[in-house]
Amino acid sequence: MKTDEILNKIIESVLDQNEDAVDKSVEAALAADIDPMVIINDGLTVSLKKVGDLFAEEILFLPELIYCGEITTNVMKKIESRLKSESDVTKKGMVLIATVQGDVHDIGKNLVTLLTGASGYEVVDMGKDVKATKILDKINEIEPDIVMLSSLLSTTMPAQKDTIQTIVEAGIRDKVKIMVGGAPVTRAWAEEIGADGYAEDASAAVIEADRIMGFE
Amino acid sequence: MEPTIKILNDKEMLAIDQASRTLLWEVGTLAENEEALDIFEKAGAVVDREKQLVKIPDHVINKTLAQCSSSVRLYDRRGDDPLIIGGDHIYYGTVGIATNVLDFETNEYRQVVCDDLRDIVRLSDVLDPPDFVLVPATPTDVPSSIVDLIETKILLTNTKKHFIAEAQNRENCLKTIEMAAEVAGSLEALQEKPFFSMLVTLSSPLHFRNDGVELIVECAKHNIPLFIESGPMSGGTSPSTLASTLVTANAELLSSFVLAKTVNPSAPLIYASWARILDMRAATCSHGGPEFGMLRCGTTQMAKYYGLPSGGGGILADTKSIDVQLGMEKLGTGLLPALANTNMVVGMGLFADENAISLETLVIDNEVTGWIKRVKEGIEVTDETLDLAVFKEVGPGGDFVRTKHTRENFRKEMFLPKVMDRGFLALDKDPEAKSMRKRARNYFSKMMDSYTPPELPLGIEEKLDAIINR
Repeated sequence: MKTDEILNKIIESVLDQNEDAVDKSVEAALAADIDPMVIINDGLTVSLKKVGDLFAEEILFLPELIYCGEITTNVMKKIESRLKSESDVTKKGMVLIATVQGDVHDIGKNLVTLLTGASGYEVVDMGKDVKATKILDKINEIEPDIVMLSSLLSTTMPAQKDTIQTIVEAGIRDKVKIMVGGAPVTRAWAEEIGADGYAEDASAAVIEADRIMGFE
Repeated sequence: MEPTIKILNDKEMLAIDQASRTLLWEVGTLAENEEALDIFEKAGAVVDREKQLVKIPDHVINKTLAQCSSSVRLYDRRGDDPLIIGGDHIYYGTVGIATNVLDFETNEYRQVVCDDLRDIVRLSDVLDPPDFVLVPATPTDVPSSIVDLIETKILLTNTKKHFIAEAQNRENCLKTIEMAAEVAGSLEALQEKPFFSMLVTLSSPLHFRNDGVELIVECAKHNIPLFIESGPMSGGTSPSTLASTLVTANAELLSSFVLAKTVNPSAPLIYASWARILDMRAATCSHGGPEFGMLRCGTTQMAKYYGLPSGGGGILADTKSIDVQLGMEKLGTGLLPALANTNMVVGMGLFADENAISLETLVIDNEVTGWIKRVKEGIEVTDETLDLAVFKEVGPGGDFVRTKHTRENFRKEMFLPKVMDRGFLALDKDPEAKSMRKRARNYFSKMMDSYTPPELPLGIEEKLDAIINR
């Protein structure tokens, strides 16, 4: 099989939500000596983009979008674990993500984690209801490129502002880019609290992260 | 369990039956048509030729009811899997007579032309529901003497679904049957699996018009299913009590069934009603209020009381624009008949007090039927739907959206709207960017792309035109 055919098979299998078929076609790609970065960028990332389009067209729904994200993430981890020693898997960057303090909503945040991870970023997810000081400690520990802060409630939006303030006060604001999101969050709010980026949904979050990182 | 509603108890249905029979015997029905008087006389009714008054005794009604079937099979053009009208089946259809269209592009009213009817029929063909197409508009750009035949031609050439035609007199009724037979290949083929029915609208109170008699007689003779509607207006063409309005509709329908069954005992008949109220301020008949939905439940229960297939108006609206009132009226008058298990609910697309139709409302009504169908499916409680395995998998505090269980169940458990806007409030964008009307327009374009015309015999258009213009 030609490279294109193998990659198409990967894309098709993701769209079919068939995890076994995705595994098999990725194995076939590796066996055919296709560069792992090509498998990721031209196979898995492309399929996820298509899944995002189908979601936007209201053909696929949330549980399916999440599942496709999980399938892609799992297979990507397998590729990486097998090839770390012999080949460099280049990541677009490191993302630290959390739902801010006081807010226990994380379905949307989890979706961003999945799609960002599946789109070539290394993502560290701190979960929900995370204190600003904890986020600061983690930034110092792992030195991410982007910090993503999620909030679903208008009452917890100020915690996004507080977290940014904590980062500013620690004197490391210029070391990270900060993105905010969540249903009540607007671009105006993002600008008001001094964030670098904003996205209204998970697919847009990937595009915004790429923009901030200068990948476009 | 399937959610249902009853608006009459057994005692009340019996009382309406008794009052209807008494009405047909004591007061009788007017039939200004010699042929009808002959038929009623043959049936055993007492006929006063001078007054053209027909009094129908109980035994004639009993005989007629004994000849009626519990169900009528309505075929489509493919000839397989007919809609079985009867029992608790519910099917939705468009409905006609609107002479105005709210233009999709300009959002302004204008008169219906043939191209509008063609577009509405095509959209009806691709949307599901409608399950069948009752001629959904009346074109104003053709001579009125043949407008019914032009409508039938548009239906024959643009939809594969079962349709209900209208005809203004015996001549056009016979031509309609002839046109359909041409498409079917022969009259026998059409009669074996009739892919169209005839609409008959009775006159209230208790009055047979010539055209109604002619359609009933000719269609009964030819075994074409009859969708017979009685639409008394409470306070206008029937007494102002809703109970007496049910009696009026019931008596009219029973008398029309006597007529049809005397002509042909095997005539397929559907008991349908638009029983409604006269609005006491506007002097219009209202189809969007609570009484309309309630009367539909009542007429449906009376049809079921006799074991007859039922139908009637529903998913209707009096409002003159696509607005809040439209949503309220359409859902209310759609949900009530569905809860009563009306077999054929006709109204999709129609609004503005029966005077207008639009492609948008047809799409919106498709969404309304989806909403209602979900209600009718009820909440399924079984060992499978109560399975605790997924709880054990997720545990306290977890989320269910990423489970296989959710992926396997959400599409059957949840109504997935096509045009309703459920997005979040994006304050820095236009909050109405995805409003139902805008989404309805997009959905329309998408659906029309998937339209394919019905298969037609070669040269059929010329043959149909020849029949129309003969």
